[in-house]
Amino acid sequence: MPNAQFEHKWGMVADLDKCTGCQACVIACQAENNIPINTKDYFLQRRAYEWIRIERYWEGEYPNVKARFMPVLCQHCENAPCEPVCPVFATYHNEEGLNVQVYNRCVGTRYCINNCPYQVRMFNFWHPNWPARMENQLNPDVTVRSRGITEKCTFCVQRIRRGELQVEARDGNRLNDETISGGNYDPACVQACPTNALMFGDLQDSNAAIKPYFDDVNAHPGHGEHDRETRGYRLLEEMNTRPSVIYLKKIDKYPLEAGH
Amino acid sequence: MALAGLLVTAIVAFIVVVLFISWFSNPPFGWGNAPDQPIAFPHTVHAGAVEDGGHAIQCEFCHRNATTGAAATVPAVEVCVICHKQINGANAKADVAEPETLINIQRVIDKHVDGRPIDWERVHRLPDHVRFVHEAHLRFLTQGEEREVTLPIGNQEAMQLPVPVQEACTVCHGDVALMEEVQPQQGQSLKMGTCLDCHKENSVSTDCTVCHK
Repeated sequence: MPNAQFEHKWGMVADLDKCTGCQACVIACQAENNIPINTKDYFLQRRAYEWIRIERYWEGEYPNVKARFMPVLCQHCENAPCEPVCPVFATYHNEEGLNVQVYNRCVGTRYCINNCPYQVRMFNFWHPNWPARMENQLNPDVTVRSRGITEKCTFCVQRIRRGELQVEARDGNRLNDETISGGNYDPACVQACPTNALMFGDLQDSNAAIKPYFDDVNAHPGHGEHDRETRGYRLLEEMNTRPSVIYLKKIDKYPLEAGH
Repeated sequence: MALAGLLVTAIVAFIVVVLFISWFSNPPFGWGNAPDQPIAFPHTVHAGAVEDGGHAIQCEFCHRNATTGAAATVPAVEVCVICHKQINGANAKADVAEPETLINIQRVIDKHVDGRPIDWERVHRLPDHVRFVHEAHLRFLTQGEEREVTLPIGNQEAMQLPVPVQEACTVCHGDVALMEEVQPQQGQSLKMGTCLDCHKENSVSTDCTVCHK
């Protein structure tokens, strides 16, 4: 927060009932954050860079099969397992609830990657390069990370900062749901999602659309998800990492048993 | 034996000289020279005070984005031509009609006629991993209620804010209006410590992501 005028805690809600697995978020993230182009080789070596990925699961037996999708990005955990293991304090939690990676401090030990239960931290195994004519489309607000360091989703902190400067510092208004989406200060994945499956907001703002889901999940912690009023749950909740991303369960209109 | 000693001395001396130059040619020492520009642009004439023979054009008249966005930006040729359409070889006053000046003005006009930008050599360069928003800093220095602050850069004297934009620019850039060529040296180091000192002094966040991207 450049002028410490408003407090924030950023969070996201992913509604799996709306997610179609179209991968628009993946592409948007790739373009926004100067992520190198993944080749087939990168994927085969399991070294592809994807700050947000769509996990696909098959449910049922052929021919009675359903595809399930789930966008997985950095969960910006409150008890982030990646943070205490970094020997050089390259990753830390800032006062806005973001899990921040400082590229210049990172020495590439990859302890954080190994300690992340969500596997969302990426290591730069190669020098990033793009076809020459694509270098002009790089986002000037995001560093091009060099080889040998770890990187991950930032909740598009460059957009948040721009919003804080333009809406809060200059005009004196608080960033809320309306101004965030109105000024394109949403993370790129949220902005690109065609079904609005991803929602981004500020948990310090009592009117935020994502706030009820977080309140509900926090009120029924651990395995108490049967008591919850909303469909909300966190990934790997039993690890008590307290992610800032909440998933909403899919409600299947035609369950597998019905034979549809 | 003597030859080996001489060789070692030469190598050590070479390394020392290289380190010496590379250290001292960086800010704040600024032994690096101003790069050759394709067109001589004297800030003294354009932005200098009227008493000193300048035209006292405000910084933000040319560096237009400084008050509205992140980068200060170098003006387009069209901005030069706003004035140099009139001020050129055809109607130059006798006292400024040095051939060298007229050649430089003609180069600007030629560029405009061709519709090509001027290939200025960059003097100041911000590292790729740093975000510096000119607009936010100028807003702090030039707007708000009257107050006194001590900026821990430059001469460190108490400063009455708000100040006019030209004065705000000199806090970091030095008095560019007095520079015939813009020097890489900026008066102070402008390393990360300088930024942090000032942010702490004025209770601005020192979170990494405020400046680093």
